[in-house]
Amino acid sequence: MHPLTFRRLFLQCSILLVVLFFVVVVALKFGAVPVSLYALGRDLFRVIFGQSRQISSDYGLIVVNIRLPRILLGIIVGASLSVAGTSFQALLRNPLADPYVLGVSSGAALGAILALIAQPYLTVSPAFAALLTPMGAFLGAAATIAAVYFLGRREGQIDSTTLLLAGVITASFLSAVIMFLMTTLAGSNLRGIAFWLMGDLSTSLQKSVYWFLGVGFCVAAGAIYTTAADLNLLLAGEKEAMHLGVDVPRVRLVVYIAASLLTGLAVSVSGAVGYVGLIVPHIMRLIFGSDHRTLLPTAALGGAIAVVFADTLARTVVAPAELPVGAVTAIAGAPLFIYLLRRKLS
Amino acid sequence: MVCAAIAALLFGAVLSRAQATPEILSSSPVYREVTDEAGRSVRVPQPVRRIVSLAPSLTETVYALGLQDHLVGDTDYCDYPEDAQKKTKVGGAINPSLEQIVALHPDLVLVTKGLNRLETVHSLDALGISSYATDPHTVDEIITSSKKLADVLGVPEAGASVVGDMQHRLAELQQRVGALPAKRVLFVVWTQPLISIGKDTFIADALRRAGAVSVVDSAQSWPQVNLEEVALLQPDFLVFAESHSEAAPSAVEGLANLPAWRILTAVSNHRYAVISDAVNRPAPRIVTAIEDLARQLHPDAFVEKPDSNQKKMDKENLPENQRPSLHTSLQRDDLKNGLLDRGGCACTL
Repeated sequence: MHPLTFRRLFLQCSILLVVLFFVVVVALKFGAVPVSLYALGRDLFRVIFGQSRQISSDYGLIVVNIRLPRILLGIIVGASLSVAGTSFQALLRNPLADPYVLGVSSGAALGAILALIAQPYLTVSPAFAALLTPMGAFLGAAATIAAVYFLGRREGQIDSTTLLLAGVITASFLSAVIMFLMTTLAGSNLRGIAFWLMGDLSTSLQKSVYWFLGVGFCVAAGAIYTTAADLNLLLAGEKEAMHLGVDVPRVRLVVYIAASLLTGLAVSVSGAVGYVGLIVPHIMRLIFGSDHRTLLPTAALGGAIAVVFADTLARTVVAPAELPVGAVTAIAGAPLFIYLLRRKLS
Repeated sequence: MVCAAIAALLFGAVLSRAQATPEILSSSPVYREVTDEAGRSVRVPQPVRRIVSLAPSLTETVYALGLQDHLVGDTDYCDYPEDAQKKTKVGGAINPSLEQIVALHPDLVLVTKGLNRLETVHSLDALGISSYATDPHTVDEIITSSKKLADVLGVPEAGASVVGDMQHRLAELQQRVGALPAKRVLFVVWTQPLISIGKDTFIADALRRAGAVSVVDSAQSWPQVNLEEVALLQPDFLVFAESHSEAAPSAVEGLANLPAWRILTAVSNHRYAVISDAVNRPAPRIVTAIEDLARQLHPDAFVEKPDSNQKKMDKENLPENQRPSLHTSLQRDDLKNGLLDRGGCACTL
């Protein structure tokens, strides 16, 4: 392991930020409606310098009010899932750990469906009704995390194999409940669920939700980053880490709660965007090494790049119709994962 | 991590500025406040010059009202009338492209609660684009819904004429088949797995108007039905909608080769009715599909004879298997003729 220098961290992040910038420009330019680079630059310039009133063209509306929020959402979702995946993999010392394997996505989906079912019976203002689904998803994710955490304990201690198994079983149980609800309940509102189960960034959210997501991400990711050095030592084994002075139970609790929060946030706004939390950390580890002090930030940026890029494909491949972004990440992610795995072996 | 946080904050700032001044595209200063069928209050620019339809049924209604020149965009599935296929496409009903819709500068986007997603409507609201939702559950509601839509779009006369024609034709149909015993049918939406329709759908109501009743009695809109249960109920006819790939004549006949399906006497006796896919769309054209189905299920009621006792005879209709054999074969011929004439509505009137 190289010693951590700010120069190295800065260099790695800069490279990824440049890539992210290009991906964002591509994502802003391409879509169902063609936008010229010149118009794009002009509109962005006006937005940044507070002259958004001058943007009269509908292209401005498309770029600023449709594509930009969506890209921002992709960045937050990708970064959250990727950081959560990195943390779960380190914490459980299992390369297969990922928010979806642990059942969190299914829990969030069930929460969202229950919110949709309850919606007609609740008399709430339309503004609040729009928040019901994400709130239901977040509560579902949180409840699932708590349940899996509880089930995964053995003699009061978290056992990584038991926890993973508890997650897998909970995920399939919750999926079955979702199927049961979808086939037994009448209601046209459930039609969007199939899209949502695949992961979807097309829903526009209120501004407050973005702030909530941004602050939530910074707090949770920051909390995980404070344990980065301890996570490195944990890779050697829990006993070894403990002998080296790591407060293992505290690290485990902090990382588990923070990573679950990140997953809950991401799933509550985008549904189940699969593979990002599993693959991006592995790619970043192959490129930049497994020092968590650099891996966590690079994984966050890598996740953002992956989701924004995948969503750009989702919007453009079958334009003007749209694919769920989860379908793209799964189609691209699975072969990529196999390739990386084989290359590493040989 | 620091870089990521800074990037996130930067974008947050950009976004918050951007969304602080939502642009409303329409320059029309005059608005009319209407309540749509989802109970939402909608500001409709007056006059409505540019319409985007997000459902095939709404596209058909817009054409029926003679507003096709104002329709600037529709979905990939809007295939009737043929001209609707040439309109700018905004994607599917469930996953339309918001940016394509914005680029079309619509005064009003038409959605229907039975097909479109709530999220789409919320997104349009956030962009300051007015959307009007319909939600018909019966044939009568299709009529009132079309009438109301005509008013909202500023063509009440066209609405009155379209609705008048629908009502007139349905009343005439009622006279012919209303008093006949209803045929018990299974409406097949999908065969693998078997999906039929629930009792509260407009399709179930359309079947009733055609002198038929669905044997499936489910509160769900699109129930998956067990074949055994259908065998127990033994429908007189299987009804298919034409556009469906599985309803191509060969596929329908192919069902008779499947052992599981042969337990239905309607299948072994080849008693199928194939009607236009208009039955799947809550638009004025559904009346044509209803007439067509009535003709196939009750051919006797459409045989014009100088003998005015015909109607009385039909009313005294015996159950099929107790009829004199001559009558039965005659009826089969009529059925065949009915099938040949399918699509034309004035052929025997």
